[in-house]
Amino acid sequence: MKLGIFLPELIRSLFKKPNTVDYPFEKLEVPPDFRGSPFLHPDLCIACRACERDCPAEAIEIEELSKEEKKFQMVIHNDRCIHCAQCVDSCPTTPLKAMEMDHLFEIADFDRHNLKMQYVYNRAVPKKPAGSAVAPMSPNRSAKPSDGSESATAPAAPKPDPASKPGQS
Amino acid sequence: MKFQIPIGPQHPALKEPISLRMTVEGEVIKDADLRLGYNHRGVEKLAESKSWIQNIYLTERICGICSHSHATCFVQGAEKLLEIEAPRRGVYLRYLVSELERVHSHLLWLGVAGHEAGFDSFFMYTWRDREVVMDILEMISGNRVHYAINTLGGVRRDLDEAQKAKILDGLKILKARSEYYLKIGAGEPTFVGRLAGVGMLSRQQAMDLCTVGPVARASGIARDVRKDDPHAFYDEVEFDVATADTCDVLGRAVVRIKELFESYKIIEFVIRNLPDGPIAVKAPRRAKPGEVVSRYEAPRGENIHYIKSNGSDKPERLKVRAPTLANYAATIEMLRHGFIADIPLIFAAIDPCICCAERTAELVDARTGEERIVRFADLRRLAASRQAHSNKRNVAWPL
Ligand code: SF4
Ligand code: SF4
Repeated sequence: MKLGIFLPELIRSLFKKPNTVDYPFEKLEVPPDFRGSPFLHPDLCIACRACERDCPAEAIEIEELSKEEKKFQMVIHNDRCIHCAQCVDSCPTTPLKAMEMDHLFEIADFDRHNLKMQYVYNRAVPKKPAGSAVAPMSPNRSAKPSDGSESATAPAAPKPDPASKPGQS
Repeated sequence: MKFQIPIGPQHPALKEPISLRMTVEGEVIKDADLRLGYNHRGVEKLAESKSWIQNIYLTERICGICSHSHATCFVQGAEKLLEIEAPRRGVYLRYLVSELERVHSHLLWLGVAGHEAGFDSFFMYTWRDREVVMDILEMISGNRVHYAINTLGGVRRDLDEAQKAKILDGLKILKARSEYYLKIGAGEPTFVGRLAGVGMLSRQQAMDLCTVGPVARASGIARDVRKDDPHAFYDEVEFDVATADTCDVLGRAVVRIKELFESYKIIEFVIRNLPDGPIAVKAPRRAKPGEVVSRYEAPRGENIHYIKSNGSDKPERLKVRAPTLANYAATIEMLRHGFIADIPLIFAAIDPCICCAERTAELVDARTGEERIVRFADLRRLAASRQAHSNKRNVAWPL
């Protein structure tokens, strides 16, 4: 046994770059299968409530707004969500899932109610690809006034504001 | 002259709330007393109101470090009750994550041991290298801590060739680093001097006090569920149970480093022999009535889940015996005759996970010695009445 076996490693590390990234300025890529927060494609949802039933955190609430128009409201409480993606697994729509996970990881907020996502939509017809016949949908973050300007639901950018930050897919 | 010093429930040396009461004479600990119950979360009760599938995610949250251990232990039992069997590929992938988790947990522990021994550069290096396995886990499962890879009847994510190659690349780095750590663990005189002879637990004591995991193995008892009661594919794969017979904290460190190598062997075996086929089968929603005991070798030792089903879609009872609980009795023996300065080191050496081991809290009346279990509402009422009757100044809580 001799003293200081650790020394060569220590000295070598002195001349290395830090192993950590300079976080707020530089961001790590998350892997493609990263589980962020769930979001809904309202045009695909058949309102079967499978996700609501299986969610372990009771984070999904589905309400029928009008029986004749088949109008539903889904609230995803992202403040309660534990990011397990069971809702995506449970969702029966094929080939595209109505529920999907995004890749965002900077989702903290000062007010938990800002994390709520609200969708009002007409139920899709099962088994048929949703076309233009489906009535318009308006997913709004409930905390903001629903001015309709952010109803763009391109699948790649479910939450318009945080998605535009750099370093996140 | 004997003194009693309380350590915890909130103490800088402890990361989780637990109360240790040491009777000391000078620097030497004469007796120790452990008090639990500061972190009770009611997980077992909650499990009774969740369906089988929801409970996977609940049990996963019993522990933040061996999350997969609890989920797998639960799933093993639940699959028996649901009368389904995971396909081979699913089994292999499930236990691949198990072994990766063991690697991350042991590397984490090594860092903590280095930190408690005052060897902080060791802590920094082990935790840096732990990122390699954390990244692998994140790549496979989609998250760093709660992998959520288990489902009833298999696993949820498959592995492709590129990922396999990445895992093997990561293993190469980890292996080289672990060899280096073994060298430090056995050869750096300052580190060895700090750990050797601390927290002695003889083989007989370890046997009598029913220790589990690396604590038992460092006292020369080759006890490992993977070998003693081979479940899943552990009877097909070659690995040894790492043991040491120094019976001290140094032994516990060496056992964990040696276990890293065994885990690397198993991971390599899984990657090279991954069978083809589906990764999961469909699970029914209801289980048949019955009960099952499921055992699993978590990084900290044997984990036991007892599950009772009454034929509905929810378990009637879930009982969790976390490995830390089995090692508490031995911790008191280890602390006895030690020094005050060794407390954090000895306590860290069982790799305690306190909230895993929390069950019910029993109240003992300080005056009459009467013991009872109370509801949360009663507890609040008691606290409120105490507040109302106190003269607001010098409120002393009898320990
Ligand atoms: S990710 Fe999990 S917790 Fe979150 S909404 Fe989906 S099922 Fe519920
Ligand atoms: S998101 Fe999927 S699971 Fe949930 S209600 Fe819609 S179709 Fe059903």
